Amino acid sequence: MESEILDKKVQIISTSGVYKTPFTLIIILQLYIGLLITIFANLWYWNNLYYYFTNQIIFPFPINDSLIERILFICLIPFNIYGCVFLFAFSIILFSVVIFKILNKLSPSKEGNFLRDSKEWKYVHRKFWTAYFPIWLARALPLPWADIFAYRFFGLRIGKNVVLYEGYVDPYFIEIGDFTMTSLNICIFSHLIYQDRLFIQKVKIGEACVVGPQTIVAPGTQMEDRAILGANSYTSIGQKLESDLIHVGIPVNIKLPLQSVEDSQQKVSKIKDTSKKMED
Amino acid sequence: MFQPASLKGDSPTPIDENVRKKFIPIYLLIIILSFIPVSIMEYYFILFLWRTPFYLIFVFLFPFNLVLMIYLLQFGAILVSFLFLKIANLILTPTEGIFERNLKDKNYFFWNLRNIIKKWPLFIMASNPLPWFKNRFTLRFFGVKIGKNSLCDNTWISSEFVKIGKNVILGMNSTILTFGIEQDKFILKRIVIEDDALIGAKCVLLPGTIIKKKVQLGAHSYSDYNSILEEDRLYRGHPAKLID
Repeated sequence: MESEILDKKVQIISTSGVYKTPFTLIIILQLYIGLLITIFANLWYWNNLYYYFTNQIIFPFPINDSLIERILFICLIPFNIYGCVFLFAFSIILFSVVIFKILNKLSPSKEGNFLRDSKEWKYVHRKFWTAYFPIWLARALPLPWADIFAYRFFGLRIGKNVVLYEGYVDPYFIEIGDFTMTSLNICIFSHLIYQDRLFIQKVKIGEACVVGPQTIVAPGTQMEDRAILGANSYTSIGQKLESDLIHVGIPVNIKLPLQSVEDSQQKVSKIKDTSKKMED
Repeated sequence: MFQPASLKGDSPTPIDENVRKKFIPIYLLIIILSFIPVSIMEYYFILFLWRTPFYLIFVFLFPFNLVLMIYLLQFGAILVSFLFLKIANLILTPTEGIFERNLKDKNYFFWNLRNIIKKWPLFIMASNPLPWFKNRFTLRFFGVKIGKNSLCDNTWISSEFVKIGKNVILGMNSTILTFGIEQDKFILKRIVIEDDALIGAKCVLLPGTIIKKKVQLGAHSYSDYNSILEEDRLYRGHPAKLID
């Protein structure tokens, strides 16, 4: 089966999908814990606000009633709401990272291909569903670095100054170097579901790489430093992309050399000159 | 999946600008009506539990309340737009065919109208953070047939004239289009995907495609108009061609 998956017929397909299991209910637990933490952190604040508007107390907290405090409490509502959003998201991320680490201890993640309903299949699905909601939240936050932080918490090695805004990235077995840029609508898969098999292999993206728009990075791809994957192309399983070259193709089969802007301008001017001479 | 907000698995529903401007009141009406069940639920939740002995129970039940709110809003939106859709379908039943791309053509006009009616539930479906009762559940109300155990939460599926069998895996970000716009012609045609098919990531299926059982379609390829992919074979390319 290993040889069949690495066979060319299968390399052409790269589908990602994860089935819903009863373990998916963990999302409700994550939501519950995150909301309870944010509510309890805010009880005294809402208690004070309630007192200022209605002169009644919900919870027995000490209250200082002065005009300055009243104005302050109302003016700081926007900051409080913003803080709530952060507290909610990051408490859920931290909680689910703990569960993710426990699952990792129970069954350390391995590369290879596994049958349906084997132990690895089950644990990969469990890990996926623990990472689902926190990363959804981090992606929904209006901050570009929140999702990179979330991915780092889950154990991906992501370097500094990485551009990773608009694309799908699996939560395990991915390494991305410093200064790498990924573009719009990309998929970086480290897993692949094929008939009744699950196939996992590590993806390694080096330093200062560029992953173009609308590309698929298949499991097992190794991009060396400064390699470029062109727009609208995809790699096949276990492919190596050499450094300092542009790789294009469906799947990748063409290498193009890098050019500086001055070089290409010189070439263009040469062609123009010759064509002018021909006309004359 | 871990899609950023710009890549949610919404249905492709481009709407003609003139229709969009005219029917804003209907769109707003659907939104307002769909909030009724949520607001009734919230009213009683606060009325019963926001009292002196119950504050802590209120706090502990709030997360469940939030989950209920999300789903009541979604179900409300589906029901309201389902009713509107039935009325629109009574006036003109949706049919396949090639039409003029002009608002004087009744079929084109009503296709736009149906899209406006479906827009709000499809938007909520796609932005629902919880993985249950999402695309498959919502699209079934609008007449799309999707079988058991098929994965379709991260694809853009048109909300009409689609039939998907059991155990189908649809790849990340692939698109199923049952409408096509060719210059001044507008095409509506059925797409059928039979059992156990495997469709790669970022595929595009154009109107009239029939995918038979156990077909494998390679990633990043598209199927042409009215193409038929034969049973248990592998296809890929631009447009998809038989490989094996």
